Amino acid sequence: GGRLLKGYRGGHVVIRFALGGCTNRPFYRIVAAHSRRARDGKYLEQLGCLDPLPNAHGERVAGLNLERLRHWLGCGAQLSRPAEKLLGLAGFLPLHPMTVTGAERLRRRAQEAVTPPADG
Amino acid sequence: MAALGAWGSAAVPARLSRVARTLWGWRARRGLGQDAGAADEGRAAKPAFADEAVQNLLYKMTGLNLQKVFRPVKKELKPPKYKLMTEAQLEEATRKAIEEAKEKLIMPPVLNEREPIDDVLAEDKFLEGTETAKYVFTDLTYSIPHRERFIVVREPNGVLRKATWEERDRMIQIFFPKEGRRVIPPVIFKDEHLVTVFQQDRHEDILNMCIAQFEPDSPDYIRVHHRTYDDIEKHAKYDLLRSTRHFGGMVWYLVNRKKTDGLLIDMIHRDLLDDATNLITLYHMLHPECQSANEAKERKLQGVDLIKIFVKTESQREGYIQLALQAYEEAMATSTAS
Repeated sequence: GGRLLKGYRGGHVVIRFALGGCTNRPFYRIVAAHSRRARDGKYLEQLGCLDPLPNAHGERVAGLNLERLRHWLGCGAQLSRPAEKLLGLAGFLPLHPMTVTGAERLRRRAQEAVTPPADG
Repeated sequence: MAALGAWGSAAVPARLSRVARTLWGWRARRGLGQDAGAADEGRAAKPAFADEAVQNLLYKMTGLNLQKVFRPVKKELKPPKYKLMTEAQLEEATRKAIEEAKEKLIMPPVLNEREPIDDVLAEDKFLEGTETAKYVFTDLTYSIPHRERFIVVREPNGVLRKATWEERDRMIQIFFPKEGRRVIPPVIFKDEHLVTVFQQDRHEDILNMCIAQFEPDSPDYIRVHHRTYDDIEKHAKYDLLRSTRHFGGMVWYLVNRKKTDGLLIDMIHRDLLDDATNLITLYHMLHPECQSANEAKERKLQGVDLIKIFVKTESQREGYIQLALQAYEEAMATSTAS
């Protein structure tokens, strides 16, 4: 048997992705929840969604309830790293530095893959 | 995408009424900057579709055939209800029916085609190569009108731009679904399929579907409407749209392109002389520089004389209209005589 109300020691509100969907078909809900809750468990409020697979028009659809997002950020919620990256891509927050670093690393690896076969 | 359904469906009725109010609030609201500007110039130079005088004329021409307006729409089969009423109650019921019919006959707005959106918010060229597909971000804040909603696209080459009108319409339909509208427009609106629809005389149905599916200033809406009006004018099927809310738009289109002859003949054949005079008044309002307008203003003509002047100066099919007028006058003479 479970309890109705779970009491935590510590913990804070985070805005993160909750995974849903089926096998080989992920679907993320952008959610404000306690950090100690299960990833897909009870959340405070759903703030949007993200479909990581491209649709028929080749686009990844994401919805963000910016008004409620601003409210939770104002209440002191923290963001998970993927959420920060997504909001950086959206333009709501500045671009995450790891996005930039990741792009640079990819480009360097692609260059190294090209030049050594040319040398060797 | 499946998880969205449960989330969105609870608030659909409130959204529907809000969206319906937004759609028909074109005249009352701020509207688009270009539209307001055009209307202001229009009062001095050229009357716009939404002017009081123009709307009055178009409304009078539309007619009020209660039988056609309240024609049975395909719904669930229910047994008919019979009520026993006095004369006064019957008049009251007819008056209410006329008011409801007037609501059904409110004309959908006629707007210019919308300008394509071409706005880049940020360019981050170093992101090139990290993604393979673009991201479309929609602002899901409930209380902002759809026209002001932020919908941005992050392309694989790193450019963050505003979404095009088609992308906007699709996203808004996905997150805030409207009844009767589909995410991807049905194939029936393509030109080759419209021909089949016109052959079956279902102009009114396709126009209703078009109003449900597209925004009034989208190029598809305007294209479908213009094709329908052209087909009606080619085959003189004006009566299909009479007493519907599309009649005003059709008359506006024809008068702007000076193709009013067929409509005039049709009105005279059906003995609708008032409508014919209204049509010519509207024509003069829109083209004040033409010869018949000047003559009519000088001599202050009314009724049949106005039609005769118009026929002499402006129309291409003079012979037909003269014949029709003669037939009408003979019929009037015989009816008054007998």
